[in-house]
Amino acid sequence: MRPRPPRRDYWNEPTLGWWERAYIFEVVRGLLTTSRVFWRNMGRWVRGRKGALTSYYPEERRADYGRRNRGKHVLTQRPDGRPQCIACNLCATVCPARCIEIEAGLDLEDTAHPKYPEAFAIDYARCIFCGFCVEACPEDAIRMVPDIPDLPGNDRHDMWLHKEHLMTWNPQRDVAKPYPPKGGSGP
Amino acid sequence: MPGIVIDGQALEAADGQTVMEAARAHGITIPALCWHPALSVDGSCRVCMVEVEGRGLAIACNLPVREGLAVLTDSEAVRAQRKLTLQFLTLNHPVDCGICDKAGECLLQDYHYAYNATPSVSNEPKLHATKHYSLGERIVLDNERCILCSRCVRFTREVSGSHVLGIEQRGDTSLIRPAAGRSLDEDPYSDNVIDLCPVGALLSRRFLHQSRVWYLTATPSICPGCARGCTVDVWHRRPDWQLQAVATHRNHAIARVTPRENPAVNGPWICNKGRDLADLLERLRALQPMVAGVPATLEEAMAAAREAIAAARHPLALVSTWGSNEELEAFKEHLGPLFTCRVKADHQRGPGEPGDDGLLIRADKNPNTSRARALFGEAPADTPGDTDLVLVWGEGFDGSTLPAGATTILLGSFEAPENVTAAVFIPLSILTERAGHYTNFEGVVSGFAPCFPAPATVTHAEELFPRLVPEGGRP
Repeated sequence: MRPRPPRRDYWNEPTLGWWERAYIFEVVRGLLTTSRVFWRNMGRWVRGRKGALTSYYPEERRADYGRRNRGKHVLTQRPDGRPQCIACNLCATVCPARCIEIEAGLDLEDTAHPKYPEAFAIDYARCIFCGFCVEACPEDAIRMVPDIPDLPGNDRHDMWLHKEHLMTWNPQRDVAKPYPPKGGSGP
Repeated sequence: MPGIVIDGQALEAADGQTVMEAARAHGITIPALCWHPALSVDGSCRVCMVEVEGRGLAIACNLPVREGLAVLTDSEAVRAQRKLTLQFLTLNHPVDCGICDKAGECLLQDYHYAYNATPSVSNEPKLHATKHYSLGERIVLDNERCILCSRCVRFTREVSGSHVLGIEQRGDTSLIRPAAGRSLDEDPYSDNVIDLCPVGALLSRRFLHQSRVWYLTATPSICPGCARGCTVDVWHRRPDWQLQAVATHRNHAIARVTPRENPAVNGPWICNKGRDLADLLERLRALQPMVAGVPATLEEAMAAAREAIAAARHPLALVSTWGSNEELEAFKEHLGPLFTCRVKADHQRGPGEPGDDGLLIRADKNPNTSRARALFGEAPADTPGDTDLVLVWGEGFDGSTLPAGATTILLGSFEAPENVTAAVFIPLSILTERAGHYTNFEGVVSGFAPCFPAPATVTHAEELFPRLVPEGGRP
């Protein structure tokens, strides 16, 4: 058997006095702390108030997201309801997590927008919410909003959100970023 | 042999060369849009402008070399001129790189970033031209992106000889158009203009919006479409850009085929059949080994084949002309002594398909006939009447010529009705799943590399043949 390596010295090595070595007193003190919190929360709950700070995910949605939180992508729409996206794949290319996949469609009848996304999917199991996709987009077709992708699942492959989900948001109601973007380029 | 000086570097040029050709021969790249090594000089793009010391600016593609000529390819004056040229070229260019299939391998894009890289200085609205003008069943033309370099026009005049394309009207309203009553579909080499186009004006319908080019990687391969054996690049999805949720079939599909320049075989061109390799190779695959039409494991199928070979008295082998040199040699070494071997043409020339046309296309639609004939002789692939076992390797086997009572062992890659009726069927890998070499009709040997992993149930012919030899040989 190999000899055990010597125990390291830590700068905050705990020192136990006779009180701590007696064990029982410190255990009782800890139990008292636990039961004090328990009974306080229980008392509030009985009176119909919220006790602990725990959120009941996913039933309960936190309301305290920052104004600039970017937790979920949306695909903006043209006034006729089609996606603004032109399937140029710049977001998918710039994505450091490589979690965006786009299948382009072809519509030669529409000379202004011959390329459109037939499928658009983001893998929230891999997304790091950096926002590069929003910056790379030449068409303001993808934005991020203060929300969370509610995707509790049993499999990492269930974490893909597709075009249908990503488009269920109406950009015309966004006062901060009106659509179509008003005059001039850049902020 | 005039001695010239390019960027202070003394070079020996050949007589009759232009500065562009001399520079390229010595590894100096002068940017050019309309100039192409295999086409005549047009001199319309003005991007290859160089400074002739003591004489001012001139286009390198049309400047003959002479003793003592000294040029600068990247001087201050040249860069300033190139910037102006590129501003002019992009004057009416829509700059829709985001949806352009050429983006990423576009010469105009590259030169713009190298020499201009500033937004347009023009206040005039851009001229609009026809979007998506149909040039037949294979090619779409976007006239707004066209910079009128006339490479495509010169190709149809000088290389393919179809004379289909020309330029209509003049000035900034010029348009590339087919000649009256003609169509680019007549030209079996038409798709080369897609590669030739330095911008994204000529677009392949097959590849249109299929993938951004930076998601693709090219594997060197050989077109098996005819005995020429053109060296090609098979473009497929890069391993680091595999799709997981959307259109995952693209991970193992041929995205496009382009010529791999090879002066010994095909030069810089291939024919349209080579572009459509996916039609040949992505047919419904046969993946299940079978014994008398009943699914079996590969081991069982091989055991049944060995038994049949050991029991046969007059076995005949029809050797595939789609097999690589290595596979044909493995067949010769291991199974050649056991069989009477005949060379079989896997594919026949289809109706309307061009035969020997003096440029590239050959009438023999099989890539490795010359090697197969060299190994197995010129005898015709008929079936002697006393044959009791036929080992068929590849396609193109006519079962009706088989004598009554004879059994077949079939080694094939694609779904076919004969697979089920054969005594033994063993699935083989296809061209894009294995490496090997083909010998073309002129005896030039070229190699191909695998693009995709082979499915688990198929086997490589080269590994299969030694395992088909019965224990102790045939009695």
